[in-house]
Amino acid sequence: MSRYWDVVRADIRRCVNEKETSVRRVLATVCNQMGLQAILVYRFGRLLRAARRQVVVWPLLPLGWLLYGLAVLWVRRGYSIRIALSADIGAGFWVGHFGGVEVVNCRLGERCSVGQQTKVGRAEDTEGPQVGDGAWIGAHARIFGHVRVGNGVTIAPGARVTRNVPDRALVVGDPGRVVFRGYDNSQILPHA
Amino acid sequence: MWSEFAADARLYSALRWPTRDSALWRALIWLRSGGLRVLALQRVSHRYLQRRSQRGWTAGTILMRFLIGLTHRPMMILSKCDVDDSIYIGPGVYLSDLGFLILGPVRIGSGTLIHERVTIGVRAGDPGKPVIGANVWIGPDCVIYGNLAIGDGATVLPGSVVSISVPAGAVAGGNPATIVRREFDNALLRGSLARNIDPRSFAPR
Repeated sequence: MSRYWDVVRADIRRCVNEKETSVRRVLATVCNQMGLQAILVYRFGRLLRAARRQVVVWPLLPLGWLLYGLAVLWVRRGYSIRIALSADIGAGFWVGHFGGVEVVNCRLGERCSVGQQTKVGRAEDTEGPQVGDGAWIGAHARIFGHVRVGNGVTIAPGARVTRNVPDRALVVGDPGRVVFRGYDNSQILPHA
Repeated sequence: MWSEFAADARLYSALRWPTRDSALWRALIWLRSGGLRVLALQRVSHRYLQRRSQRGWTAGTILMRFLIGLTHRPMMILSKCDVDDSIYIGPGVYLSDLGFLILGPVRIGSGTLIHERVTIGVRAGDPGKPVIGANVWIGPDCVIYGNLAIGDGATVLPGSVVSISVPAGAVAGGNPATIVRREFDNALLRGSLARNIDPRSFAPR
């Protein structure tokens, strides 16, 4: 449970500046940032999923799933952000903007960032993509299929990743090409 | 502002209903077109920002601020559009009714058509914003980012990712985008809502 709160705190830290973490500031950020709301709903769903093993909390689960269902309906219909529970996302996830985000059946590392209209892993039945820590995935980017994307990778807006990508690479274009190795994306990551 | 609203309604009704040309249909387009309402709210918000910088907090600006604050978020969620308030948009611009527009350029010239799922914004880590000229046709699924200018009468093909400046009258396409043709008249494209055009017909000469 303490690990769960650490993960949620890391998600909120991506949106709130570390020096001004007052309760009021955090609540205002959660109200304003639609991506953060979607991430919190996803984390709640994962918590419910993990709680299946704890027999003590079984009476609470129906209410929890009902709340999760309503929240996820709001996030999908209202903001059109779809972060499915089949995705395994590390701490410190950041969704930059609402609209057309689909993160399904994939594994994302810690401190990943995605923009609007991003599609990561579409099919539920096959094995999905694996993305390393600190990846920055730009707007309209697509990562499908069983590809392995390294740590600290920058995927330019609109790129379509079709093959494995080494660590700290910059991927551009459709189909995606590695145009630069050793690219440092720490400047463009928000609060990472 | 009212003349801009009238120009928008005229353009939207001409594009959506080419055969129905009357004042009644131009009034009904406000009920049927989500993009027109987004555009109208953006114009009101832009006017509010101008007024506030000129006159400061008066009774009028406080009332405008209150009304915009009430409508801004519901409009964003209903239309799935986020159009920045600080953009100067010329009269008679078409923003797609299908939504998913995320726009943040400096200005959009009059007569421009922007189709659905288009992002126009800054490059990460660089505050320079794009400038969109007049009579530009921007196809669906485009991304335009960086400190660049799209010239008057330019055409951006569907699905292209533009991070270079496009000269006036040129056609940009591809991912990453290149200039595929220099002189092209997009008046026919801008005359209807047909958007599934064949990029091969724009092959370099």
